[in-house]
Amino acid sequence: MSANLQPTSHPSVPVQTGAAPNAEKPIGPWRQTWNKFKRNPFAMTGLAILLIFVLSAILAPYIAPYDPAKQDLMNSNLKPFTGNHFLGTDELGRDIFSRIVFSGRVSLTVGFSVAAVSVLIGSLIGAISGYFGGWIDIIFMRLIDVMISIPTLFLNILIGAIFGTKFIYIILILSFTSWMGVARLVRGNFLQLREMQYVEAAKAIGVSSWGIIFRHLLRNASFPIIVNATLMVGGAILAESGLSYLGLGIQMPQTSWGQMLSNAQEFMLIDPIQGVYPGLCIFLVVLSVNFIGDGIRDALDPRQKMHLSPRRLEKWRAKFSKSTK
Amino acid sequence: MGEYLVRRILQSVVVLFLISVFTFGLIHAAPGGPTQIFLSPGLSVEAGKIKAHELGLDQPIPVQYLQWMGNILSGDLGSTFKNNIPVGDILWPTVKNTLILMGAAWILTLIIAIPWGIYNSTKEYGLSDQTASFISYTGFAMPAFWFGIILQSYFSLKLDWLPLSDMYTMGKEGNISDLFMHLILPVSVLSLGMLAGYLKYARSSMLEVLEQDYIRTARAKGVKENKVVFRHALRNALIPLITLFGLDLPILVGGAALTEAVFNWPGMGRLFVEMANSREYSVLMAITLLGAVFVVVGNLIADILYAVVDPRVQLSKGGKS
Repeated sequence: MSANLQPTSHPSVPVQTGAAPNAEKPIGPWRQTWNKFKRNPFAMTGLAILLIFVLSAILAPYIAPYDPAKQDLMNSNLKPFTGNHFLGTDELGRDIFSRIVFSGRVSLTVGFSVAAVSVLIGSLIGAISGYFGGWIDIIFMRLIDVMISIPTLFLNILIGAIFGTKFIYIILILSFTSWMGVARLVRGNFLQLREMQYVEAAKAIGVSSWGIIFRHLLRNASFPIIVNATLMVGGAILAESGLSYLGLGIQMPQTSWGQMLSNAQEFMLIDPIQGVYPGLCIFLVVLSVNFIGDGIRDALDPRQKMHLSPRRLEKWRAKFSKSTK
Repeated sequence: MGEYLVRRILQSVVVLFLISVFTFGLIHAAPGGPTQIFLSPGLSVEAGKIKAHELGLDQPIPVQYLQWMGNILSGDLGSTFKNNIPVGDILWPTVKNTLILMGAAWILTLIIAIPWGIYNSTKEYGLSDQTASFISYTGFAMPAFWFGIILQSYFSLKLDWLPLSDMYTMGKEGNISDLFMHLILPVSVLSLGMLAGYLKYARSSMLEVLEQDYIRTARAKGVKENKVVFRHALRNALIPLITLFGLDLPILVGGAALTEAVFNWPGMGRLFVEMANSREYSVLMAITLLGAVFVVVGNLIADILYAVVDPRVQLSKGGKS
């Protein structure tokens, strides 16, 4: 009995060695960012919506009640909530809800892959350009000038017409036409960062150029890259949907939201509501991604005020309730 | 000013030259070259060779480039494979139509965005500001063609107020009021997309100016608030908007293509999509190049205007990028 009252030995706490028990753990930059991010209602809503879409894409075979490609001409163009069809069926009797869920797989995969690949290309080129400078910088910068001067959609279509529009090509084409922004951003950052004293110190102790680029500089430039990458996911999803809508993107039998829309437009007279769902999905996903991106940017920027400070919210509420009375 | 002007123009010419090389190279980098991809797949090897010889596709690539470039500079854009129609004949009318659509959308956007964005900068986080920010987010996230489809199904099919598509009603070609009715929906779609950027930019540019020392000085010496905003701040805040126009152009030309496809607008973008489907590569190259010329020249004009209204640029922006 008396053993329980002993203050010194506590069986549930593992024995601590070294660190003082009461020393406060410093909050790392990631943790700090998350703490600020958490308080942004828009960003958190965006995160929640995006998570729902991502989960439904991963679990598509379990969520979708029907095979998205299964045709049932006896039950075509059903209105929502008829039979077991939550959102009705399309002109070939395919279950729209199942098609939306499976299309989400394609659209989200394209969005995230394009963001990842183009950030990879962009940071690499921007890093090399900014760190080494000289003729290599001139070549890359002229290449960027050329590529951003050609209207992006034209470039996408042109490359698609030349190399084909297989799923993997769509990802590569979109990445190939969207890395320039990141490259410029990273280059700009590197131009400043390479003058830092720690770079000089690293050089002095014999760290190689690549070591400095990857271990020191890219890490310091990582936050703006992350913000840019997030916003790029939305841009890629929009670009893919546009291409697929034009019939120059994702091809049958694969479906994406954009492709569903081009299909729905043909049957607009019969059933206009079919065109609403896929577009709404694109809109919601892109909106969430943009909210998240802005949330991260605001959280990272110490000068940025909160999206809606409690005081402002209170003021706004007071004004609003007055005007409705 | 003179030196800056010359340097910028030379730079633009170099970029245009590189773009032409890039576009040309892209077509010829394709596995099998343009013969393989763009001629009809059913063509026999022999017939393909004869056709390629006719078109000069069996020459060395640099020679082909020089011929192509020489033709373009002398105004000959080539002709289509299928019916041998000169590209210029089908391209120029669509350019005019696209410019009508884009111009209308751009003017509408400026008329709404500048006064509204500036008003919002003086009443930060007010109801009007929140609404504008809502519109910005919507405009950035909404697929333009989806918005177009929804407008069509509501205003054209359900209410029957506005024409569904095309530029003129059959038989009324050239009628201005008919054109106006056909412009309303596509212009709304394009403007929403552009509004998103301009609203945000006008507001933040104004906010930045309002924090400057000379504004504080003006207030300190007792200038009325209205005069501070409209006389001192506005002029300086409008300058960066010129650059936005230049930056927006590639997106604008591309975005117009999607809108044109939705509304069957006989413009450059729709032509591009049609030609991509029928693999008419001389038309594709001509339009790509023309789109790039628009962008480069637009940027050049924006930069020159910027330098005219803000002489500081010439000194600090000396070698851009």
